[in-house]
Amino acid sequence: MAEFRIQPLARFEGSSAAIRRPKEIACFSYDENHQLRLDDSSLRYYYPPRLPVDLSQGFDTFKNLDDNADDHLDALLTTIMEMEKKDGKRCEADVVTWRGMMTKIMAAPFDYFNDFEMNATCFQGTIFLEENHSYKLAEKAEQNSKPPRPGAHSQQMMSYWGYKFETLCLLPAPWGETSREYIEGRENEVVSNYAQYCSVVKTGIGNISLVLGGEVDAVWDTKPTDPTQPTNWIELKTAAAPLTPADALKHERKLLKFWIQSFLLGVPRIVVGFRSASGILTHLEELDTRSIPGNVKRQGKASWDGNVCINFAAAFLDALRKTIGRGEGGVWRIRRRERSPVIEIWKVE
Amino acid sequence: MGVPALFRWLSQKYPKIISPVIEEQPREIEGEEVPIDTRGPNPNGEEFDNLYLDMNGIVHPCSHPEEGPPPATEEEMMLAVFEYTERVVKMVRPRKLMMIAVDGVAPRAKMNQQRSRRFRSAQEAKQKDDDKEEHLKLLKAQGKLSEEMDKSGAIKKTWDSNAITPGTPFMEILAMSLRYWIAYKLNTDPAWEKLKVIISDATVPGEGEHKIMEFIRSQRNSPEHNPNTRHVIYGLDADLIMLGLGTHEPHFRVLREDVFFQDSKPRTCHLCGQVGHMAAECRGEAKVKQGQFDEKQNAAPLKPFIWLHVSILREYLAIELDVPSLPFRFDLERALDDWVFMCFFVGNDFLPHLPSLDIREQGIDTLIAIWRDNLPVMGGYVTKDGHVDLARAQFILEGLAKQEDAIFKRRKQVDDKREAGAKRRKLETERRNNRNSGAGNGYNDPSTPVSYPGSRRRGEPIPDINALPTFAPGQAQTAADPRYTSITHESVVNRGAVTNANVANRSAAAVLKEKLLAGKAAKAAETQIHEATNNGGVEALPASGSSTAEAAKTPPSALGKRKAELMEEDNSGTPGRNTPDSAASPATPKTDPDEPAPDNIRLWEDGYADRYYEQKFKADPKDIGFRHKVAHAYVEGLAWVLLYYFQGCPSWTWYYPYHYAPFAADFVDLDKMAISFDKGKPFRPYEQLMGVMPAASRHTIPDVFHPLMTDEDSDIIDFYPEDFPLDLNGKKFAWQGVALLPFIDAERLLAAMDTKYPLLTHEQVARNERGKDVLLFSTRHPLYEEVAMNFYSKKQGAPKYKLNVRVSEGLAGKVEKNDTYLPQSSLSFPLSKGVMPDLDEDYSISVHYEMPKSTHVHKSMLLRGVKFGTLALDHADIEATRGRSRQSGRHFGGVPLND
Ligand SMILES: [Mg+2]
Repeated sequence: MAEFRIQPLARFEGSSAAIRRPKEIACFSYDENHQLRLDDSSLRYYYPPRLPVDLSQGFDTFKNLDDNADDHLDALLTTIMEMEKKDGKRCEADVVTWRGMMTKIMAAPFDYFNDFEMNATCFQGTIFLEENHSYKLAEKAEQNSKPPRPGAHSQQMMSYWGYKFETLCLLPAPWGETSREYIEGRENEVVSNYAQYCSVVKTGIGNISLVLGGEVDAVWDTKPTDPTQPTNWIELKTAAAPLTPADALKHERKLLKFWIQSFLLGVPRIVVGFRSASGILTHLEELDTRSIPGNVKRQGKASWDGNVCINFAAAFLDALRKTIGRGEGGVWRIRRRERSPVIEIWKVE
Repeated sequence: MGVPALFRWLSQKYPKIISPVIEEQPREIEGEEVPIDTRGPNPNGEEFDNLYLDMNGIVHPCSHPEEGPPPATEEEMMLAVFEYTERVVKMVRPRKLMMIAVDGVAPRAKMNQQRSRRFRSAQEAKQKDDDKEEHLKLLKAQGKLSEEMDKSGAIKKTWDSNAITPGTPFMEILAMSLRYWIAYKLNTDPAWEKLKVIISDATVPGEGEHKIMEFIRSQRNSPEHNPNTRHVIYGLDADLIMLGLGTHEPHFRVLREDVFFQDSKPRTCHLCGQVGHMAAECRGEAKVKQGQFDEKQNAAPLKPFIWLHVSILREYLAIELDVPSLPFRFDLERALDDWVFMCFFVGNDFLPHLPSLDIREQGIDTLIAIWRDNLPVMGGYVTKDGHVDLARAQFILEGLAKQEDAIFKRRKQVDDKREAGAKRRKLETERRNNRNSGAGNGYNDPSTPVSYPGSRRRGEPIPDINALPTFAPGQAQTAADPRYTSITHESVVNRGAVTNANVANRSAAAVLKEKLLAGKAAKAAETQIHEATNNGGVEALPASGSSTAEAAKTPPSALGKRKAELMEEDNSGTPGRNTPDSAASPATPKTDPDEPAPDNIRLWEDGYADRYYEQKFKADPKDIGFRHKVAHAYVEGLAWVLLYYFQGCPSWTWYYPYHYAPFAADFVDLDKMAISFDKGKPFRPYEQLMGVMPAASRHTIPDVFHPLMTDEDSDIIDFYPEDFPLDLNGKKFAWQGVALLPFIDAERLLAAMDTKYPLLTHEQVARNERGKDVLLFSTRHPLYEEVAMNFYSKKQGAPKYKLNVRVSEGLAGKVEKNDTYLPQSSLSFPLSKGVMPDLDEDYSISVHYEMPKSTHVHKSMLLRGVKFGTLALDHADIEATRGRSRQSGRHFGGVPLND
């Protein structure tokens, strides 16, 4: 058992470790039946909805994906293998994982309530990192069993609002090629989370190279024909409109997740849909991903520090590689308990 | 659009939409003029990305200026165009793109108006020339004209502005000159290095401003288009504001000369166009050039320019069109489209306006009130992305029909009252003048313009907005035009003033004779004129009745475009000039001009519709089906115009086949109508020329076609009448009247022309070809490398490819190799050597440009990412606008439905 200490954070302060700009190397889609397709067919385009609009509308027809099965890194690995076949060369990386795992790691210094369990395997010098599926299921079951606070909406409804917001904001083709009827009819579209577009990016933090897969909500304009050019991705988020100073702090903490998620895949812009407590979408705000940490520091309560997140992640990944990267095979467990000042790593198989 | 007084009306109703343009003046250091470096920040406090030039609005005033001496040669015209364009570019300082759009072949629907303008213009020019000739003869007879001066031709034939039509040699010269000048600027002005310039010359079909709109729409459809692009369009047409609104690009301005600015330029002689003397003193002496190209002639202060902020108009309309408690979601973009649609009813270039809608009577307000009342009932907007919902349009027209009788009656009452007041004032004035005989200070002169309420700055006179003509570029755009200065609403109604003008309304020649030969000759001239006008004959006018009578109270010259000088000189006792009497005029001076003419339609009396259809359309008053047919065609026209504005030309061949509009009451069962357009294809340049030119302007058309216009046995000789009747149709002045020209039958025209096509020379055939847009930019522009690589390197790509928007800095579309462009060649001025510099090496590139084509309907929506600036209207403006919107437009019984 190895332990990686989170605290004291002062170790991670200062200017951030080197970051390699995320670059999309491949993509894949899940279609409306959640069938994997190794193309960009589920790419969506952003066009804002008419406001105000009720996010709860259509909840009864929500097509919610059953994610109880353990998909491991299947789709990501299939895509990488396909790419390797096409390019005729191996895709080199120290770590391959979903964006979600990296988000949890990066947020660890400031998100005290964040707990996670992951499994890691090292193969030919590459660490494959995935969520411990049974832990995730247990956590979800516990959350759903909690009755919502009086007057609040259920977990299911709140998560529906997020998907509804996406449906309201997305177009299957650029605005110019989409009919007015579709654009205005989005309020009545059946909400489904079956279809997804996932970007596979190559990036680097400190001296660790990473291949990350993650869902991208939309593109602002269109994917550039020149693959060396960055794409103007859009991340869509809903948030309760902050009314009190306490709300504002809560929102700032939420921005930490927004920022990390977008930062990792190189999403330059986040559109936040603010909603009332009852789920009425009232206004939108466009955030420039790069300037979020600075704004939090200068204008906010400075409840988190982006550089610390980056330096922490760089140090942790480095330690992880030292711990398990040289070994040959075997499954390792990475765990962080709620409020724990350490991340534990041990071999399970 | 020919909502003649639209600019005026808009700027009065929405005062904050106008602001002056701040122009940086070149500084002088030690006597040396330091040119303005337009790379510096724009002094207007805002930078602009794209500048669009509706080029006819530059070519017309530069080739036949309203004031000042006309350029002596076409080359001088080109120099004037360069100079003017440069000034506009310096004001705007576009940072990304400039598009120069010259009118190409227009849709058939526009050609009726073009034809009428050109026939009138030719007649006017002929008149002017006749006057000049007459004058020369007189000078000669008196030995006042030196032989040398006679030969120098200082008094030359009036330049035929009809040459500004696609397919003429003049337009070819213009296109060549513009290409040269743009390349020259790209080479020599560092501020142009980042600029992409598109030239759409007359060989590319479509009206200039509509080619510009097509471009903007095409860019909006490109996903990479920056929704906060700042657009400026320069042009003279009032409908540029409508078009600007219709783009749904919120950062949009219209730029134009301040037409209401009183300039202090010296008046010029009407015969030779020079300063320093009036026509009567003209000796026809050659002009002494001031400066190398006579540029110092125009050293007088330049007319200032103004901005028209579409963004601020949007703010006003957002308040005015806001209807509370709608059963559906309010959508400003849709409401704006409806507003534009309602403006069409009051006037446009393609349809005559409805008799009951008059901008002076706040016709647009009447429609807005009807629209506001009906919006909740209609359940949605009248238009959608350029398509009319006919069932909803029926609501609007029914609302108007209910008020129609009241509108006509009220119009009569107001007219009568004004007339009585004017008569009284005239009598008072006369009494006063008799008392202070010889006062001569012009005080309370009957034709002294009286300000309109709400008169704007500097206390200048306000024109009768209804008396304004359809905007013809280069005409009536300036303060010197009588329609702006002298003919105020008051003076139009004031019979005294009109009479006064009429009395002196003789040809310049006549007045000169009077002056030079005294008594005897003057009488002779009068007689001559009376004979001439009488020859026009009342019988020649098919629409008879009212129009003939109406004409009587207007100048005998029904075609005379009256100049400010004329009016002023009338009052000061100086002889008038340039008031051609026209043999073609149906007017007769026999009627006492002091008496208002009887109006045989009498819209204020029952049965007016019967009389209207009988007299204007020659239709049986009992034939109600005919009226519905006319209304049907009119609705088709409205649908056509709306599509033309919002989607691009729906049909090149469609046109409204009548000279007059129906009544609102004649629109029935619109919901049962189905409208569809056959796209067809544009005329070729020579076909359009043959379709719009009078025989007098045939010099602009290849010789082989001339016999078709002149030979008595030509199959289409009926298209080219020498004389044509002009129906004043209740208006006061000739330029407001309806020219009753026969409509062109395209089939017969093309059949006749087909027999001549084989006779054309190579060059003539080339001038009839359809051209392409050209894109020019500096070799220092980042796009150069890519284009050069694709077209001129060893590993060339396809001869046509799609631009990478990130490299082109926002421009979407395709480029194609331009075979007339040779890399690293020299650049030379296409006209006379030495007038403009030649460059040994041309550091600009030229390619063909193709706008991205969309198979999708253009949508009237804002783009994602639009950011609005700070609002221009303050609380008081908002309250005032809201208050007005509740009350306006209800003079004729428009009562809110929900009251
Ligand atoms: Mg035009």
